[in-house]
Amino acid sequence: MSFELLAVFLASTIRLAIPLLFAATGELVSERAGVVNMSVEGMMLAGAFGGAVGAAMTGSPWLGLVFAVLTVLPIALLQSVLTNSLRANQIVTGIGINILVLGMTTLGYRALFGARSREVIPGFDAVPVPGLAQLPVLGPVFTQIWLVWLAFLVAAAVGWMLSRTGLGIVLRGIGDDPEAVAKSGAPVGALRHGAVLFTGVMSALGGAFLSIGDIHTFTEGMTNGAGYLAIVAVIFGNWSLWRTVLACLLFGAATALQFQLPALGIVVPNALLIMLPYLLAFLAVAGLVGRQTAPRALAQPFWK
Amino acid sequence: MATLSAMKEASVAPPPGRDQPVPRLTMSGVGKVFGAFTALANIDIAFHAGEVHCLLGENGAGKSTLCNIIYGLHSPSSGAMVCDGVSYAPANPKAALASGVAMVHQHFSLIPELSVLDNLLMGQRFGRLDRRGEAARIVTLAETYGLSLDPHALVADLSVGQRQRVEIVKCLMHNPKILILDEPTAVLLPDEITALLEICRRVADSGSAVVMVTHKLAEIEAIADRVTVLHRGIVAARSDRPAADMDGLVRAMIQRPDATGDDPAGLAQLSTRRHRPSGKAADEVAQLDGISLRDELGIARLQDVTLSIARGEIVGIAGVEGNGQTELGNMLAGLLHASDGRWFVEGQDLSKASPRQITEAGVGIVPEDRHRVGAVDRLSLADNIFLNRMPQYSRFGIIDRRRQVAAASTLAQQFDVRAAGMGVRFGSLSGGNQQKAVLARELTTPNLRFLLAAQPTRGLDVGAVKAVYSLIRDAADTGVGVLLISSELDELLAVADRIVVLYRGQIVGECTTDASNREQIGIWMSGKHT
Repeated sequence: MSFELLAVFLASTIRLAIPLLFAATGELVSERAGVVNMSVEGMMLAGAFGGAVGAAMTGSPWLGLVFAVLTVLPIALLQSVLTNSLRANQIVTGIGINILVLGMTTLGYRALFGARSREVIPGFDAVPVPGLAQLPVLGPVFTQIWLVWLAFLVAAAVGWMLSRTGLGIVLRGIGDDPEAVAKSGAPVGALRHGAVLFTGVMSALGGAFLSIGDIHTFTEGMTNGAGYLAIVAVIFGNWSLWRTVLACLLFGAATALQFQLPALGIVVPNALLIMLPYLLAFLAVAGLVGRQTAPRALAQPFWK
Repeated sequence: MATLSAMKEASVAPPPGRDQPVPRLTMSGVGKVFGAFTALANIDIAFHAGEVHCLLGENGAGKSTLCNIIYGLHSPSSGAMVCDGVSYAPANPKAALASGVAMVHQHFSLIPELSVLDNLLMGQRFGRLDRRGEAARIVTLAETYGLSLDPHALVADLSVGQRQRVEIVKCLMHNPKILILDEPTAVLLPDEITALLEICRRVADSGSAVVMVTHKLAEIEAIADRVTVLHRGIVAARSDRPAADMDGLVRAMIQRPDATGDDPAGLAQLSTRRHRPSGKAADEVAQLDGISLRDELGIARLQDVTLSIARGEIVGIAGVEGNGQTELGNMLAGLLHASDGRWFVEGQDLSKASPRQITEAGVGIVPEDRHRVGAVDRLSLADNIFLNRMPQYSRFGIIDRRRQVAAASTLAQQFDVRAAGMGVRFGSLSGGNQQKAVLARELTTPNLRFLLAAQPTRGLDVGAVKAVYSLIRDAADTGVGVLLISSELDELLAVADRIVVLYRGQIVGECTTDASNREQIGIWMSGKHT
């Protein structure tokens, strides 16, 4: 592999990992607080759609981003109310929401873009980082849209929040033993709602990255399992932030390989590479890759 | 009752030789009703500054409900509380803490995955943490009460005693006026108990009122300044000199307060003597030989229990709850295995047997926890009646419903289980009918030779209590040996042939069920014989 190819591989690894990274960071916070959002997939798709619509209508990708978040928040709120207030099964409601969002975005896409499918939407452009982008060989890696750096920044902030602040302790506590936290006087319900809404915002950014960051268009069901992959990254990352980030990068790399291997003349069935992250997650959940320590109260509704 | 009313009067006057007590919290006429169940009725208690006040009572007496009301987890259905001269009605634990009421729960509310420090800071602040500063502050606080604490240790690595200390420090961080401890010693080793009591005394000396729930009499003797005994939701007795009043306290705790004259369960009628079992060694049905049992924390729950039950004999196990009865019942049901010793039914060693093997050996089990162990609430009455005998009513794994329901109806009639039909959900039956259904199943165990009945009348109404005991006695009359575990001494005296008293997992006394032995049994139960 030549150095140029390596740089392209690294750059596309990061680019492909970012939607996962956004969503997984959000999902990590939520799961540490004890709520599984299977609806990450649906929230990302809604974010991608909202971002595309907003950017296309206003001509500004920035407003598109705002639009993406505004589209996803009601969905996150629905998920949160169903699971945290009404104690519905988290997995079932999440999958229900995914199917609902797939239908709604497909309908909306055909209604709004039907005549002009595959139209290029205004989006963010890659900007070279001054200095770093001029590095020999690795330069291309540092020519990315700004959302890439935001994703890493938010992940770092979340890591700091979880380990160094009182809020972090309480969130982690809620995921393990919500009753114990409730006895300490912290508002468990409100915090769980907040965690799910945070997942919603992060999923919206991840989804919008797909439509107005990466390829500047929207297609039906364009997340294509990225949301599930984000959940898998949290599991594979053993609910630790830095490991989840690594898992996202690993999954990004696996996806990037799909494009790189043919360029190198290596023939591997694409389907195998698509399977790879899920296979790794299976191994992780089965306890074959280190010990799994899921939050104890994960997916358990709390009621006082 | 004379001694009890004398004690009640004594509590009105300040304790002799002490300054006028300052009430920290006063409860007047407090009651709590859950649906149709009255958990507490008309409770008047004052908790004073500087005292360790013990709440004594059996399970279900209302101690925990009382604590939960003070701590704002339940709101009282009636009555009022005054804390430091101000009307006190906490809406939730947070409000209680703000008013200076802190509680150490029976089940710790620590998160094992987090450090001691993080557990202590949980919910206290939300911003950035100055862990080093907070740790120093907490260690200093703990040391003023003589507690040592490693703030950076992971809670998962701590012993139960250490975890409890963390819980106490968590309370002390709020500088409480009232510290409630709900059965704090149930999980502790003996030397940890001593240390805990010392801490309680220090906290009381600092001017707080310490409220300790317990049913261990030795602790009351060691620490309590005052004792209030609860029985079925009312104050059954009070004492300002617990060490001297111990016998009366025990009696108040274990007797029905209304047992003075009337006999609501008609137990006297039951106690017309049957033919006595012969008691000859050859007639032995079940035998426990040096049974000892340690729980997962290594605490001895049963110690060298040796006991034999003859054909047709009902042996009653008496004792204050938490002295090994539950473990004994679970062991005989095959849910726990003895760490030491063996037990036999008709000479067959069942020490390592599974519940199924035990049933096959002709042992009927009426478990203490009807809902979790005794039956499946969501299945039908018919299914529950034949839960252990499904193959009898099925061919190739398919249940012959008609035959099963017919057989169940016959049994239900025989055992007077009243239900709208055999297909009704077991959980929808009344407690009495549930218990009769369990008995119907267990008493018709093929080749029944030995019956274990653990707290078989708990939660039942008067009529059902009588029915359950009639069934048990009828079984004994057919030659089944019965081991009856009950916290109701009156019932044991009425139903059993012989009573064995458990104290701290050991058999400390044995006697016939003559009413004149009641006093002696009380002494054994309180551990005062030592």
